[in-house]
Amino acid sequence: MKAKTFHENIFTLQQGKKRFLATRNLSPGFEVYGERLVQVEQAEYRIWEPKRSKLAAMLLKKLTSPFTTTSKVLYLGSATGTTVSHVSDIVHKGVVYAVEFSPRTMRDMLPICEERPNIIPMLADASKPQSYANVVEPVDVIFQDVAQPDQASIALSNVQHFLKPGGYLLMSIKARSVDSTAKPDTVFKQQLKTLLEQENSKLELVKKQKLAPFHIDHLGVVVKKTE
Amino acid sequence: MKTWFADIEINEDGSVAECSPCTQDVQQLAERLLVFQKDPKQIPPACFDPVQNAIECGFAAGETEYYSLLQQTCIAATRLKIKNSYSPDLRIIHAVEALDDIDEAANLLAERLGIWYGEHFPEAGMLTENLAKFVAENGLRQDLQQDSQFHETARSSVGMEMDAEDGAIIKAFAADLTSLYERRHVIEAYIHKNMEQLAPNLDEVAGANLGARLISMAGGLQSLSRMPSSTIQVMGANQALFKHLRGKATSPKHGIIFNHPLIKNSHPKIRGKMARALASGLSIASRVDAFSGQLNPAIKEKLDRKVRSIKEGN
Repeated sequence: MKAKTFHENIFTLQQGKKRFLATRNLSPGFEVYGERLVQVEQAEYRIWEPKRSKLAAMLLKKLTSPFTTTSKVLYLGSATGTTVSHVSDIVHKGVVYAVEFSPRTMRDMLPICEERPNIIPMLADASKPQSYANVVEPVDVIFQDVAQPDQASIALSNVQHFLKPGGYLLMSIKARSVDSTAKPDTVFKQQLKTLLEQENSKLELVKKQKLAPFHIDHLGVVVKKTE
Repeated sequence: MKTWFADIEINEDGSVAECSPCTQDVQQLAERLLVFQKDPKQIPPACFDPVQNAIECGFAAGETEYYSLLQQTCIAATRLKIKNSYSPDLRIIHAVEALDDIDEAANLLAERLGIWYGEHFPEAGMLTENLAKFVAENGLRQDLQQDSQFHETARSSVGMEMDAEDGAIIKAFAADLTSLYERRHVIEAYIHKNMEQLAPNLDEVAGANLGARLISMAGGLQSLSRMPSSTIQVMGANQALFKHLRGKATSPKHGIIFNHPLIKNSHPKIRGKMARALASGLSIASRVDAFSGQLNPAIKEKLDRKVRSIKEGN
């Protein structure tokens, strides 16, 4: 296999005609959720499956990656930490603040946090950013994957409190969680309106892209905070 | 204002005016963090940089130490919070789900036993629990006691012959199944007992089985009490409901609450009205249970009055 840089510290591995997205393993020898580990030229890579991760799907769908090796990231909706672990690989000199609401899934994520020094777990409600405001610092990137009916306003309140000027918000909007009966396109439009047409929000849309075929009825969105 | 590492006052230009850093005791820091999470009043402004301030303040020597302490504290706090997140209704939820699993497994095994033993003694004519008990106690038909009511039928059975080895296997299999049925009764009794304590009103209005099932489906007594009664009414009829919401069908009248005798034993014409009345009674009952926990007989009486008026109206 051959490793090629895809974005900063994100790689693609080529095997014959097949191409895999991968990140360099921060804790070599350990896999997090049963993903494949591949050794290429003295480095260990973890294969990153787009069907299991909205972020991986977003990257493969050519939404830009705002991550650098030193990024500070606020990750909303970390669940059991599969995608978080890849973000932790990418920003290996930075920090990931991982917010999750469910104690049951957080229980599964704790071992990953103990393995990786740059993940800070928080069992909190992403729609109440004040509850973790005395811990989280201003961040370069906010990634949100919460699948809630008020996704856009949750993202907005976190952006206002934590995102540095010039920072990026990446989010995946799940149409079926917002309204299971409306047409996905209507939902996307309405969510983007909540997100962008706020007075003084200083947000501009960089790119949006549907995540099919990896995730159906999901829209990937990249937004930049100006100033 | 308060951060996780210190009480801190900031001048208007952003410099530190006053700061009393905490000690580096992770457990204490974690407890402090949880207090703020519950009651977030004195939160820092959006541009506040905790890392630099913590170092300036003398809480940590450098960034590495800061982040290491932060991670340890957050992990400790998360552990504490997970530990405190278990509610008493979780026991009922697991018991109800265990009951469902046992039913599924027992049905499968009972079917197997029926076919298997049926080859040997089709005239026994018993099913499920009775058959399992019978086989576990008596074994093969040639082993039946003289005084057994099946003694005569067994002698003229058309079933195939089985030897002692077959008998031992099938007897043990039946014994396992019997113990599964026994376990089911124990769990059922456990649910009844716990429902009386945990949700006395729901227990009275719905009955222990349905009440426990409602709690399990809602994911807890608290979540159930927050549901509108219309949701409780159609809970368990998801497929029909979403078909209706997509505009392809009429709305479902009842979901899991169909199992309540009030609905099951009513004429189909008034089931819709009954379901509505019952669901509203259930939702009130769950609220009283979640927030006071005291048995209030007025809920059942009100429902009974409503039921009478529905029956008289038709």
